[in-house]
Amino acid sequence: MLEYLTAIGDALPYLLQGSLVTIALVVGAMALGLVIGILLAVGLVYGPPYIRALFSMYVWFFRGVPLLVLLFLFYFGLFTLVGINISAFTAAVIVLGLISSAYQSQIFRGGILSLPEGQLKAARALGMSDGKAICSIVLPQALRLSIPGWSNEYSIVLKDSAIAYALGVAEVMARAHFVASRTYQHLPLYFTAGVIFLILTYMGTKALRVLEERLRIPGYMR
Amino acid sequence: MAKRILLFLVISAAMALTIGPAFSQDKVYVNGIDANFPPFAFVDKNGNPDGFDVKALDWIAKDQGFKVKHQPMDWDGIIPSLNAKKIDMIASGMSITDKRREQVNFSIPYYKITQVLVALKDSKLTVDQLLDQGNKVGVQRGTTEAKWIEENLIKKGKKNFSLLYYDSAPLAVEDVVNGRIAAAAMDDAPAKDAVKKKPVRIVGTFGMPDEDFGYAVRKADTELLDKINTGLKKLMACPYWQELKVKYELD
Repeated sequence: MLEYLTAIGDALPYLLQGSLVTIALVVGAMALGLVIGILLAVGLVYGPPYIRALFSMYVWFFRGVPLLVLLFLFYFGLFTLVGINISAFTAAVIVLGLISSAYQSQIFRGGILSLPEGQLKAARALGMSDGKAICSIVLPQALRLSIPGWSNEYSIVLKDSAIAYALGVAEVMARAHFVASRTYQHLPLYFTAGVIFLILTYMGTKALRVLEERLRIPGYMR
Repeated sequence: MAKRILLFLVISAAMALTIGPAFSQDKVYVNGIDANFPPFAFVDKNGNPDGFDVKALDWIAKDQGFKVKHQPMDWDGIIPSLNAKKIDMIASGMSITDKRREQVNFSIPYYKITQVLVALKDSKLTVDQLLDQGNKVGVQRGTTEAKWIEENLIKKGKKNFSLLYYDSAPLAVEDVVNGRIAAAAMDDAPAKDAVKKKPVRIVGTFGMPDEDFGYAVRKADTELLDKINTGLKKLMACPYWQELKVKYELD
Protein backbone atom coordinates (compact mmCIF):
# COMPACT_ATOMS: atom_id res chain seq x y z
CA MET A 1 0.00 0.00 0.00
CA LEU A 2 2.78 2.39 0.98
CA GLU A 3 4.49 1.46 -2.25
CA TYR A 4 1.37 2.55 -4.15
CA LEU A 5 1.11 5.83 -2.29
CA THR A 6 4.76 6.62 -2.99
CA ALA A 7 4.26 5.86 -6.67
CA ILE A 8 1.23 8.15 -6.79
CA GLY A 9 2.98 10.91 -4.86
CA ASP A 10 6.00 10.78 -7.14
CA ALA A 11 3.95 10.93 -10.31
CA LEU A 12 1.27 13.39 -9.20
CA PRO A 13 2.90 16.70 -10.23
CA TYR A 14 3.63 15.28 -13.69
CA LEU A 15 0.09 13.90 -14.04
CA LEU A 16 -1.46 17.17 -12.88
CA GLN A 17 0.49 19.08 -15.52
CA GLY A 18 -1.05 16.62 -17.91
CA SER A 19 -4.50 17.59 -16.70
CA LEU A 20 -3.80 21.10 -18.06
CA VAL A 21 -3.24 19.53 -21.47
CA THR A 22 -6.46 17.58 -21.04
CA ILE A 23 -8.34 20.76 -20.11
CA ALA A 24 -6.88 22.60 -23.10
CA LEU A 25 -7.98 19.73 -25.36
CA VAL A 26 -11.51 19.78 -23.96
CA VAL A 27 -11.95 23.57 -23.95
CA GLY A 28 -10.65 23.78 -27.52
CA ALA A 29 -12.81 20.92 -28.74
CA MET A 30 -15.96 22.08 -26.93
CA ALA A 31 -15.53 25.63 -28.24
CA LEU A 32 -14.99 24.46 -31.80
CA GLY A 33 -17.94 22.10 -31.42
CA LEU A 34 -20.09 24.91 -30.03
CA VAL A 35 -19.49 27.26 -32.95
CA ILE A 36 -20.02 24.61 -35.62
CA GLY A 37 -22.79 22.95 -33.60
CA ILE A 38 -24.90 26.12 -33.45
CA LEU A 39 -24.51 26.68 -37.19
CA LEU A 40 -25.49 23.08 -37.84
CA ALA A 41 -28.50 23.25 -35.52
CA VAL A 42 -29.83 26.44 -37.10
CA GLY A 43 -29.28 25.01 -40.56
CA LEU A 44 -30.94 21.73 -39.63
CA VAL A 45 -34.06 23.45 -38.28
CA TYR A 46 -34.48 26.48 -40.52
CA GLY A 47 -32.31 25.74 -43.53
CA PRO A 48 -33.55 24.91 -47.02
CA PRO A 49 -33.78 21.19 -47.88
CA TYR A 50 -30.31 20.89 -49.49
CA ILE A 51 -28.66 22.50 -46.44
CA ARG A 52 -30.58 20.15 -44.18
CA ALA A 53 -29.49 17.16 -46.24
CA LEU A 54 -25.86 18.31 -46.27
CA PHE A 55 -25.74 19.00 -42.54
CA SER A 56 -27.47 15.70 -41.80
CA MET A 57 -24.75 13.92 -43.72
CA TYR A 58 -22.08 15.75 -41.72
CA VAL A 59 -23.76 14.73 -38.47
CA TRP A 60 -24.18 11.17 -39.71
CA PHE A 61 -20.50 10.93 -40.64
CA PHE A 62 -19.04 12.34 -37.42
CA ARG A 63 -21.41 10.38 -35.22
CA GLY A 64 -20.82 7.19 -37.15
CA VAL A 65 -17.05 6.84 -37.35
CA PRO A 66 -15.14 5.88 -34.19
CA LEU A 67 -12.99 8.59 -32.64
CA LEU A 68 -9.80 6.56 -32.91
CA VAL A 69 -10.34 5.96 -36.63
CA LEU A 70 -10.96 9.67 -37.25
CA LEU A 71 -7.88 10.65 -35.23
CA PHE A 72 -5.61 8.43 -37.31
CA LEU A 73 -7.40 9.30 -40.54
CA PHE A 74 -6.95 13.03 -39.98
CA TYR A 75 -3.52 13.05 -38.37
CA PHE A 76 -1.68 10.57 -40.57
CA GLY A 77 -3.97 10.73 -43.58
CA LEU A 78 -5.91 13.84 -44.54
CA PHE A 79 -3.76 16.58 -43.03
CA THR A 80 -0.61 15.02 -44.42
CA LEU A 81 -2.22 14.51 -47.81
CA VAL A 82 -3.10 18.18 -48.21
CA GLY A 83 0.29 19.22 -46.85
CA ILE A 84 -0.87 20.77 -43.58
CA ASN A 85 1.64 19.94 -40.89
CA ILE A 86 -0.15 20.28 -37.58
CA SER A 87 0.83 19.06 -34.14
CA ALA A 88 -0.79 16.02 -32.59
CA PHE A 89 -2.44 18.34 -30.08
CA THR A 90 -4.06 20.50 -32.77
CA ALA A 91 -5.18 17.43 -34.69
CA ALA A 92 -6.79 16.04 -31.54
CA VAL A 93 -8.59 19.34 -30.84
CA ILE A 94 -9.92 19.51 -34.38
CA VAL A 95 -11.11 15.89 -34.49
CA LEU A 96 -12.66 16.01 -31.01
CA GLY A 97 -14.24 19.36 -31.95
CA LEU A 98 -15.72 18.13 -35.23
CA ILE A 99 -17.17 15.04 -33.59
CA SER A 100 -18.53 17.09 -30.71
CA SER A 101 -20.10 19.58 -33.14
CA ALA A 102 -22.21 16.74 -34.55
CA TYR A 103 -23.48 15.81 -31.10
CA GLN A 104 -23.83 19.42 -29.96
CA SER A 105 -25.90 20.25 -33.05
CA GLN A 106 -28.48 17.72 -31.88
CA ILE A 107 -28.50 19.19 -28.38
CA PHE A 108 -29.12 22.69 -29.78
CA ARG A 109 -31.64 21.39 -32.29
CA GLY A 110 -33.57 19.92 -29.38
CA GLY A 111 -33.37 23.26 -27.61
CA ILE A 112 -34.67 25.14 -30.65
CA LEU A 113 -37.49 22.67 -31.27
CA SER A 114 -38.65 22.87 -27.66
CA LEU A 115 -39.53 26.56 -28.08
CA PRO A 116 -43.12 27.44 -29.02
CA GLU A 117 -43.34 27.99 -32.76
CA GLY A 118 -45.45 31.07 -32.19
CA GLN A 119 -42.42 33.03 -31.03
CA LEU A 120 -40.89 33.15 -34.49
CA LYS A 121 -44.24 34.12 -35.99
CA ALA A 122 -44.60 36.87 -33.39
CA ALA A 123 -41.12 38.13 -34.21
CA ARG A 124 -41.99 38.22 -37.91
CA ALA A 125 -45.21 40.07 -37.09
CA LEU A 126 -43.07 42.69 -35.34
CA GLY A 127 -41.11 43.09 -38.55
CA MET A 128 -37.96 41.20 -37.58
CA SER A 129 -36.04 39.38 -40.23
CA ASP A 130 -35.70 35.63 -39.74
CA GLY A 131 -31.96 35.95 -39.09
CA LYS A 132 -32.51 38.61 -36.48
CA ALA A 133 -35.29 36.60 -34.85
CA ILE A 134 -33.14 33.47 -34.68
CA CYS A 135 -30.18 35.34 -33.18
CA SER A 136 -32.12 37.50 -30.72
CA ILE A 137 -35.17 35.42 -29.85
CA VAL A 138 -34.61 31.75 -30.56
CA LEU A 139 -30.94 31.11 -29.81
CA PRO A 140 -30.73 32.95 -26.47
CA GLN A 141 -33.50 30.71 -25.17
CA ALA A 142 -32.50 27.54 -26.94
CA LEU A 143 -28.89 27.77 -25.74
CA ARG A 144 -30.04 28.22 -22.16
CA LEU A 145 -32.22 25.14 -22.47
CA SER A 146 -29.26 23.26 -23.96
CA ILE A 147 -26.94 23.63 -20.98
CA PRO A 148 -27.94 20.35 -19.24
CA GLY A 149 -27.38 18.39 -22.45
CA TRP A 150 -24.20 20.34 -23.10
CA SER A 151 -22.89 19.42 -19.67
CA ASN A 152 -23.41 15.79 -20.62
CA GLU A 153 -21.46 16.35 -23.83
CA TYR A 154 -18.67 17.97 -21.81
CA SER A 155 -18.18 14.86 -19.71
CA ILE A 156 -18.13 12.71 -22.84
CA VAL A 157 -15.54 14.87 -24.62
CA LEU A 158 -13.46 14.96 -21.46
CA LYS A 159 -13.29 11.20 -21.33
CA ASP A 160 -12.82 10.85 -25.08
CA SER A 161 -9.85 13.22 -24.91
CA ALA A 162 -7.84 10.44 -23.27
CA ILE A 163 -7.64 8.72 -26.65
CA ALA A 164 -5.41 11.57 -27.85
CA TYR A 165 -2.63 9.66 -26.11
CA ALA A 166 -2.55 7.38 -29.15
CA LEU A 167 -1.12 10.30 -31.14
CA GLY A 168 1.43 11.05 -28.44
CA VAL A 169 -0.35 14.01 -26.88
CA ALA A 170 1.03 14.12 -23.32
CA GLU A 171 -2.32 14.35 -21.56
CA VAL A 172 -3.21 12.56 -18.32
CA MET A 173 -3.54 9.03 -19.71
CA ALA A 174 -0.34 9.21 -21.78
CA ARG A 175 1.58 10.43 -18.76
CA ALA A 176 0.22 7.70 -16.50
CA HIS A 177 1.31 5.22 -19.16
CA PHE A 178 4.81 6.70 -19.44
CA VAL A 179 5.38 6.65 -15.68
CA ALA A 180 4.01 3.12 -15.37
CA SER A 181 6.46 1.95 -18.02
CA ARG A 182 9.36 3.29 -16.02
CA THR A 183 8.23 2.24 -12.57
CA TYR A 184 6.07 -0.82 -13.36
CA GLN A 185 3.42 0.59 -11.01
CA HIS A 186 0.51 0.23 -13.40
CA LEU A 187 -2.31 -0.11 -10.89
CA PRO A 188 -1.74 3.04 -8.81
CA LEU A 189 -0.99 5.14 -11.88
CA TYR A 190 -4.04 4.23 -13.93
CA PHE A 191 -6.07 4.60 -10.75
CA THR A 192 -4.75 8.13 -10.26
CA ALA A 193 -5.47 8.98 -13.90
CA GLY A 194 -9.06 7.81 -13.34
CA VAL A 195 -9.43 9.95 -10.22
CA ILE A 196 -8.11 13.01 -12.06
CA PHE A 197 -10.75 12.51 -14.77
CA LEU A 198 -13.45 12.09 -12.11
CA ILE A 199 -12.44 15.37 -10.49
CA LEU A 200 -12.35 17.17 -13.85
CA THR A 201 -15.80 15.83 -14.72
CA TYR A 202 -17.14 16.96 -11.36
CA MET A 203 -15.66 20.45 -11.63
CA GLY A 204 -16.90 20.97 -15.17
CA THR A 205 -20.45 19.74 -14.63
CA LYS A 206 -20.66 21.73 -11.40
CA ALA A 207 -19.53 24.90 -13.18
CA LEU A 208 -22.10 24.36 -15.92
CA ARG A 209 -24.78 23.83 -13.31
CA VAL A 210 -23.91 27.19 -11.78
CA LEU A 211 -23.95 28.76 -15.24
CA GLU A 212 -27.39 27.26 -15.84
CA GLU A 213 -28.71 28.88 -12.66
CA ARG A 214 -27.09 32.21 -13.42
CA LEU A 215 -28.47 32.41 -16.93
CA ARG A 216 -31.98 31.40 -15.94
CA ILE A 217 -34.52 33.98 -17.05
CA PRO A 218 -36.31 34.97 -13.83
CA GLY A 219 -40.02 34.30 -13.88
CA TYR A 220 -39.98 32.73 -17.33
CA MET A 221 -38.27 29.38 -17.12
CA ARG A 222 -39.04 27.24 -14.09
CA MET B 1 -23.41 37.53 -20.54
CA ALA B 2 -24.18 34.83 -23.06
CA LYS B 3 -22.40 36.79 -25.79
CA ARG B 4 -19.34 37.25 -23.61
CA ILE B 5 -19.22 33.53 -22.89
CA LEU B 6 -19.56 32.79 -26.57
CA LEU B 7 -16.77 35.23 -27.37
CA PHE B 8 -14.58 33.64 -24.71
CA LEU B 9 -15.15 30.19 -26.15
CA VAL B 10 -14.41 31.33 -29.69
CA ILE B 11 -11.19 32.97 -28.54
CA SER B 12 -10.14 29.90 -26.59
CA ALA B 13 -10.84 27.72 -29.60
CA ALA B 14 -8.69 29.97 -31.74
CA MET B 15 -5.94 29.92 -29.12
CA ALA B 16 -6.05 26.19 -28.72
CA LEU B 17 -5.56 25.87 -32.45
CA THR B 18 -2.60 28.21 -32.55
CA ILE B 19 -0.79 27.00 -29.42
CA GLY B 20 0.40 23.83 -31.11
CA PRO B 21 2.32 25.40 -34.01
CA ALA B 22 3.52 28.30 -31.84
CA PHE B 23 5.74 25.92 -29.89
CA SER B 24 7.83 25.03 -32.92
CA GLN B 25 8.88 28.47 -34.07
CA ASP B 26 12.69 28.27 -34.26
CA LYS B 27 14.24 25.30 -36.00
CA VAL B 28 14.70 22.66 -33.37
CA TYR B 29 14.99 19.08 -34.53
CA VAL B 30 12.37 16.87 -32.96
CA ASN B 31 13.37 13.40 -31.90
CA GLY B 32 10.41 11.04 -31.58
CA ILE B 33 10.78 8.56 -28.75
CA ASP B 34 8.81 5.64 -27.42
CA ALA B 35 8.68 6.78 -23.80
CA ASN B 36 7.63 3.28 -22.77
CA PHE B 37 11.03 1.81 -23.61
CA PRO B 38 13.36 2.05 -20.63
CA PRO B 39 16.35 2.20 -20.44
CA PHE B 40 16.71 3.57 -23.99
CA ALA B 41 13.91 6.11 -23.79
CA PHE B 42 11.51 6.98 -20.99
CA VAL B 43 10.13 9.93 -19.04
CA ASP B 44 11.86 10.68 -15.74
CA LYS B 45 10.28 11.59 -12.42
CA ASN B 46 9.96 15.26 -13.37
CA GLY B 47 8.44 14.43 -16.73
CA ASN B 48 11.59 15.07 -18.74
CA PRO B 49 12.64 12.65 -21.47
CA ASP B 50 15.52 10.51 -20.31
CA GLY B 51 17.31 7.35 -21.35
CA PHE B 52 20.39 6.11 -23.12
CA ASP B 53 19.33 7.29 -26.58
CA VAL B 54 18.05 10.63 -25.28
CA LYS B 55 21.34 11.42 -23.57
CA ALA B 56 23.41 10.12 -26.47
CA LEU B 57 21.53 12.27 -28.96
CA ASP B 58 21.82 15.30 -26.69
CA TRP B 59 25.59 14.84 -26.76
CA ILE B 60 25.63 14.41 -30.54
CA ALA B 61 23.45 17.49 -31.05
CA LYS B 62 25.72 19.60 -28.86
CA ASP B 63 28.81 18.29 -30.65
CA GLN B 64 27.37 18.85 -34.11
CA GLY B 65 25.78 22.19 -33.28
CA PHE B 66 22.08 21.51 -33.68
CA LYS B 67 19.20 21.78 -31.26
CA VAL B 68 17.07 18.80 -30.43
CA LYS B 69 14.02 18.16 -28.31
CA HIS B 70 12.52 14.81 -27.50
CA GLN B 71 8.88 14.12 -28.20
CA PRO B 72 7.28 11.06 -26.61
CA MET B 73 4.86 9.37 -28.97
CA ASP B 74 3.21 6.12 -29.86
CA TRP B 75 5.58 3.52 -31.30
CA ASP B 76 2.98 2.26 -33.78
CA GLY B 77 2.89 5.48 -35.75
CA ILE B 78 6.48 6.60 -35.31
CA ILE B 79 7.74 5.97 -38.88
CA PRO B 80 4.63 7.54 -40.50
CA SER B 81 5.17 10.49 -38.14
CA LEU B 82 8.77 10.81 -39.32
CA ASN B 83 7.81 10.76 -42.97
CA ALA B 84 4.91 13.15 -42.35
CA LYS B 85 7.51 15.55 -40.83
CA LYS B 86 5.85 15.51 -37.44
CA ILE B 87 9.29 14.56 -36.11
CA ASP B 88 12.76 14.75 -37.66
CA MET B 89 14.48 11.68 -36.28
CA ILE B 90 13.94 8.56 -34.23
CA ALA B 91 16.55 7.81 -31.58
CA SER B 92 14.66 5.36 -29.44
CA GLY B 93 16.08 1.86 -29.65
CA MET B 94 14.93 1.20 -33.20
CA SER B 95 16.16 -2.00 -34.85
CA ILE B 96 17.59 -1.60 -38.34
CA THR B 97 15.65 -3.78 -40.76
CA ASP B 98 15.44 -3.98 -44.54
CA LYS B 99 11.73 -3.28 -44.44
CA ARG B 100 12.27 -0.08 -42.46
CA ARG B 101 15.19 0.86 -44.71
CA GLU B 102 12.69 1.15 -47.56
CA GLN B 103 11.06 4.03 -45.71
CA VAL B 104 13.83 5.73 -43.73
CA ASN B 105 17.61 6.02 -43.57
CA PHE B 106 19.51 4.64 -40.61
CA SER B 107 22.67 5.83 -38.91
CA ILE B 108 25.56 3.48 -38.25
CA PRO B 109 24.58 0.73 -35.78
CA TYR B 110 25.38 1.59 -32.18
CA TYR B 111 24.04 -1.26 -30.10
CA LYS B 112 23.42 -4.96 -30.60
CA ILE B 113 20.16 -6.19 -29.16
CA THR B 114 18.95 -9.71 -28.44
CA GLN B 115 15.32 -10.74 -28.14
CA VAL B 116 14.37 -12.84 -25.15
CA LEU B 117 11.36 -14.38 -23.48
CA VAL B 118 10.37 -13.14 -20.03
CA ALA B 119 8.30 -15.35 -17.73
CA LEU B 120 7.34 -15.48 -14.06
CA LYS B 121 10.25 -15.83 -11.66
CA ASP B 122 9.07 -19.15 -10.26
CA SER B 123 8.01 -20.58 -13.61
CA LYS B 124 9.99 -23.72 -14.42
CA LEU B 125 9.11 -23.73 -18.13
CA THR B 126 11.77 -23.62 -20.79
CA VAL B 127 11.60 -21.52 -23.95
CA ASP B 128 10.33 -24.51 -25.94
CA GLN B 129 7.63 -25.25 -23.39
CA LEU B 130 6.57 -21.59 -23.20
CA LEU B 131 6.11 -21.50 -26.95
CA ASP B 132 3.97 -24.63 -26.85
CA GLN B 133 1.05 -26.26 -25.03
CA GLY B 134 -1.33 -23.62 -26.35
CA ASN B 135 0.31 -20.92 -24.22
CA LYS B 136 -0.24 -17.23 -24.76
CA VAL B 137 2.75 -15.03 -25.48
CA GLY B 138 2.67 -11.24 -25.39
CA VAL B 139 4.59 -8.83 -27.58
CA GLN B 140 4.60 -5.09 -28.27
CA ARG B 141 2.70 -4.11 -31.41
CA GLY B 142 4.75 -2.83 -34.34
CA THR B 143 8.08 -4.24 -33.16
CA THR B 144 10.56 -6.40 -35.07
CA GLU B 145 10.06 -9.25 -32.60
CA ALA B 146 6.30 -9.21 -33.26
CA LYS B 147 6.95 -9.44 -36.99
CA TRP B 148 9.59 -12.14 -36.65
CA ILE B 149 7.41 -14.33 -34.42
CA GLU B 150 4.46 -13.96 -36.82
CA GLU B 151 6.54 -14.91 -39.85
CA ASN B 152 8.80 -17.56 -38.41
CA LEU B 153 6.86 -19.23 -35.63
CA ILE B 154 3.14 -18.58 -36.13
CA LYS B 155 2.77 -18.81 -39.92
CA LYS B 156 4.91 -21.90 -40.19
CA GLY B 157 2.74 -23.43 -37.48
CA LYS B 158 5.55 -25.42 -35.90
CA LYS B 159 4.75 -24.22 -32.43
CA ASN B 160 1.46 -24.36 -30.62
CA PHE B 161 0.99 -20.95 -29.01
CA SER B 162 -0.92 -17.75 -29.66
CA LEU B 163 0.43 -14.23 -29.85
CA LEU B 164 -1.17 -11.29 -28.01
CA TYR B 165 -0.39 -7.69 -28.88
CA TYR B 166 0.31 -4.93 -26.35
CA ASP B 167 0.78 -1.21 -26.47
CA SER B 168 4.18 -1.45 -24.80
CA ALA B 169 6.55 -4.12 -23.54
CA PRO B 170 6.03 -3.15 -19.87
CA LEU B 171 2.30 -3.81 -20.29
CA ALA B 172 3.07 -7.28 -21.63
CA VAL B 173 5.29 -7.91 -18.61
CA GLU B 174 2.46 -6.70 -16.37
CA ASP B 175 0.22 -9.36 -17.90
CA VAL B 176 2.86 -12.02 -17.31
CA VAL B 177 2.73 -11.06 -13.64
CA ASN B 178 -1.08 -11.05 -13.77
CA GLY B 179 -0.93 -14.58 -15.14
CA ARG B 180 -2.84 -13.79 -18.31
CA ILE B 181 0.03 -14.76 -20.56
CA ALA B 182 2.84 -17.26 -20.06
CA ALA B 183 5.62 -15.10 -21.41
CA ALA B 184 6.50 -11.79 -23.05
CA ALA B 185 8.87 -11.53 -26.00
CA MET B 186 10.99 -8.39 -25.90
CA ASP B 187 14.46 -6.82 -26.26
CA ASP B 188 16.92 -7.91 -23.60
CA ALA B 189 17.73 -4.43 -22.28
CA PRO B 190 14.15 -3.52 -21.29
CA ALA B 191 13.75 -7.11 -20.10
CA LYS B 192 16.61 -6.58 -17.63
CA ASP B 193 14.86 -3.42 -16.50
CA ALA B 194 11.66 -5.42 -15.92
CA VAL B 195 13.51 -8.09 -13.91
CA LYS B 196 14.68 -5.40 -11.49
CA LYS B 197 11.15 -4.15 -10.88
CA LYS B 198 8.87 -7.18 -11.20
CA PRO B 199 8.95 -10.85 -10.09
CA VAL B 200 9.97 -12.09 -13.55
CA ARG B 201 13.02 -13.69 -15.07
CA ILE B 202 14.61 -13.87 -18.48
CA VAL B 203 14.12 -17.41 -19.71
CA GLY B 204 16.31 -17.16 -22.79
CA THR B 205 16.42 -16.40 -26.49
CA PHE B 206 13.89 -17.91 -28.86
CA GLY B 207 15.87 -18.17 -32.07
CA MET B 208 15.45 -14.68 -33.44
CA PRO B 209 18.72 -13.32 -34.88
CA ASP B 210 20.34 -10.39 -33.04
CA GLU B 211 19.59 -6.94 -34.34
CA ASP B 212 21.36 -3.61 -34.49
CA PHE B 213 19.89 -0.40 -33.19
CA GLY B 214 20.28 2.72 -35.29
CA TYR B 215 18.94 6.25 -35.43
CA ALA B 216 16.44 6.88 -38.19
CA VAL B 217 15.97 10.01 -40.32
CA ARG B 218 13.96 10.81 -43.44
CA LYS B 219 15.50 9.67 -46.74
CA ALA B 220 15.86 13.25 -47.94
CA ASP B 221 17.69 14.48 -44.84
CA THR B 222 21.18 13.31 -45.86
CA GLU B 223 22.86 16.30 -44.23
CA LEU B 224 21.26 15.53 -40.87
CA LEU B 225 22.22 11.88 -41.24
CA ASP B 226 25.84 12.88 -41.84
CA LYS B 227 25.83 15.01 -38.70
CA ILE B 228 24.34 12.21 -36.64
CA ASN B 229 26.83 9.68 -38.01
CA THR B 230 29.83 11.94 -37.43
CA GLY B 231 28.64 12.76 -33.93
CA LEU B 232 27.81 9.16 -33.13
CA LYS B 233 31.26 7.96 -34.23
CA LYS B 234 32.90 10.59 -32.03
CA LEU B 235 30.66 9.73 -29.11
CA MET B 236 31.34 6.00 -29.37
CA ALA B 237 35.06 6.70 -29.28
CA CYS B 238 34.91 8.83 -26.16
CA PRO B 239 34.62 7.72 -22.50
CA TYR B 240 31.15 9.24 -22.11
CA TRP B 241 29.76 6.40 -24.24
CA GLN B 242 30.94 3.86 -21.68
CA GLU B 243 29.64 6.05 -18.86
CA LEU B 244 26.23 6.10 -20.50
CA LYS B 245 26.23 2.32 -20.84
CA VAL B 246 27.08 1.94 -17.16
CA LYS B 247 24.51 4.54 -16.12
CA TYR B 248 21.69 2.81 -18.01
CA GLU B 249 23.01 -0.68 -17.23
CA LEU B 250 23.47 -1.75 -20.81
CA ASP B 251 26.58 -3.85 -20.31
